[in-house]
Amino acid sequence: MRVEVRLFGGLEKFVKDVRFGEGFPVDLPEGGRVAELLDRLGIPPSQVFSVLINGRHASLADVLREGDRVALFPPLGGG
Amino acid sequence: MGKIVRVDMTARKVTVEEVPEKYRLLGGRALTSQVVHDEVPPTCHPLGPHNKLVIAPGLLSGTPAPSSGRLSVGGKSPLTGGIKEANAGGISSQKLANLGIRAVVVEGRPQDGGWYLLRLSPEGAELLPADDLAGKGTYEVTKICRERFGDKVGVITIGPAGEMMLSAAGVTNNDPEGNSSRYAGRGGLGAVMGSKRLKAIVVDSPSLFNAPLKEPERFKAAAKRFADILHQHPVTGQGLPAYGTNVLMNIINEAGTLPTRNFRFGRFDKAAEVSGEKLAEVAVARGGLATHACHPGCVMRCSNVYPLPDGRVCAPIEYETAWAFGPNLEIGDLDVIGELNYLCNDLGLDTIETGVTLGVLMEAGVIPFGDGEAAIRLLKEVYQGTPMGRIVGSGAAAAGRIFGVTRVPVVKGQGLPAYDPRACKGNGVTYATSPMGADHTAGYAVTANILKVGGYVDPLKPEGQVELSRNLQIATAFIDSTGLCLFVAFAVLDNPEGLPTILEMINAQYGTSLTVEDAMEMGKRVLKAEREFNLWAGFTRADDRLPEFFTYEPLPPHNTVFDVPGEELDRVFDF
Repeated sequence: MRVEVRLFGGLEKFVKDVRFGEGFPVDLPEGGRVAELLDRLGIPPSQVFSVLINGRHASLADVLREGDRVALFPPLGGG
Repeated sequence: MGKIVRVDMTARKVTVEEVPEKYRLLGGRALTSQVVHDEVPPTCHPLGPHNKLVIAPGLLSGTPAPSSGRLSVGGKSPLTGGIKEANAGGISSQKLANLGIRAVVVEGRPQDGGWYLLRLSPEGAELLPADDLAGKGTYEVTKICRERFGDKVGVITIGPAGEMMLSAAGVTNNDPEGNSSRYAGRGGLGAVMGSKRLKAIVVDSPSLFNAPLKEPERFKAAAKRFADILHQHPVTGQGLPAYGTNVLMNIINEAGTLPTRNFRFGRFDKAAEVSGEKLAEVAVARGGLATHACHPGCVMRCSNVYPLPDGRVCAPIEYETAWAFGPNLEIGDLDVIGELNYLCNDLGLDTIETGVTLGVLMEAGVIPFGDGEAAIRLLKEVYQGTPMGRIVGSGAAAAGRIFGVTRVPVVKGQGLPAYDPRACKGNGVTYATSPMGADHTAGYAVTANILKVGGYVDPLKPEGQVELSRNLQIATAFIDSTGLCLFVAFAVLDNPEGLPTILEMINAQYGTSLTVEDAMEMGKRVLKAEREFNLWAGFTRADDRLPEFFTYEPLPPHNTVFDVPGEELDRVFDF
């Protein structure tokens, strides 16, 4: 299956030739979890503070589905 | 004990009083709101002689407490018709506190048609003529005052919008480098200052961190512990210092709650182009700064310095402003946003209110969505005071009425900030019920709704939002009274040592033995005083509601509406 990934706040530096906010496809085995996605991308889980799947909060243990929009963030705040 | 500087603009006379016992342990918002509650008739005209402008540093301002330099400005708001506290960074709060000034109360109104400047220094307080500063933008006023009174002074001032008494006019002051960009922006208090014919307050203090401490050693230990708490939390220790507030742009967009095209959509396809990541890239490439402290002693340093293409510097571009002039207007160009931001700073306008107003004018078809040049042209009309310029400076509610727009995102007449209440419902509760009108800082539920700080409450469901907003509004009213930056809340919400350490600093400074419970009681008293003022000013529960279209127009991509029931909103202040 294929998911669409976006990286932000410096996490993009872990993946070659990817800019922040630019969606790119990643192929994963059926039933793959967020943790496996991080592993595939070489992003240490300790750097990831928030995971959004299709705009909703998710955890590293959540299972991904075909076509999911996945966004990964370091710690951030403001207002 | 500290003093209150009372400026009678009718007689053009300044008197200095001891702080009365009942105000001894009030600072910042607690003090401005209490003075407004006690001294301003709720039914007075906000621009008339009976309104007062109250300026107060927080309880901890002017000490070595980290990130404690916030300034509160209060009065009756010409935008909402209710009580207002607007809160700014910059260097003036620390300087006021180091002069021993707990509050400046500006009252009355001169009849001679002149403009005035109040100078506060170790020698005392004096009112000087300032006709030569009238009509000038805030950057020039600040520059002139720094040349005239020394380059270390704090300059609290208004721009042409405040002089024209426009309802979206803010009160600004400067950062350490002299940028007049640190705004007590919301609610039109710049118009109140303009109505008093007070163009500027120059705060000249040789020290910044020497406010008196009852127990200096105890204070020092607590301040050190508090700095550690801020450094240790991922948001205040890493997130904010790296990219500043505009790092929010992308997560709010991904969460589908970024108000786009005047609150029509929850996502903007060019969000990344106006985000903190992009800002840092451009700012650094042009010799600016991705991180910067708005006042000395801040450990979070969430501000930035953005050089515009022609060399002028916009410092900072904050998230709220980037949103107001970006996604809200479908503008995906940071340079256009920076230009609009700079113009607002110079004109003396609140960027949130001005952005929301431009969104309503675009909704009305006055200028097209996405047209940055047209937005700049319209905003520049404020300098000339043309009828259109005055509409731009008078807030979204006025613009909506004049052009017959029904989709006007305001509560109590004040424009909604950068989180759509349909997909961040905790903030929706705060917008609806805060005595301030639609104000994101009054109970920043984005924490638990989106950022997963201080727990998690699903942003798309109505359940739990009232309790979340209530607790945050109480805690915020307290934090706003300490002079601490509200951003300390990110760490304080997650660390059980946070609040006790703030209390330890206050107790060491004032020789008190306040508890966390006392602090929450203070927060509740502030809200009760504000609510009481608004009640007598004519507000009812009907004013504690969001605009109707949020309840029937679903917001993509989640396609939710705001569905927290009215009777639950009425329970926010059940305490």
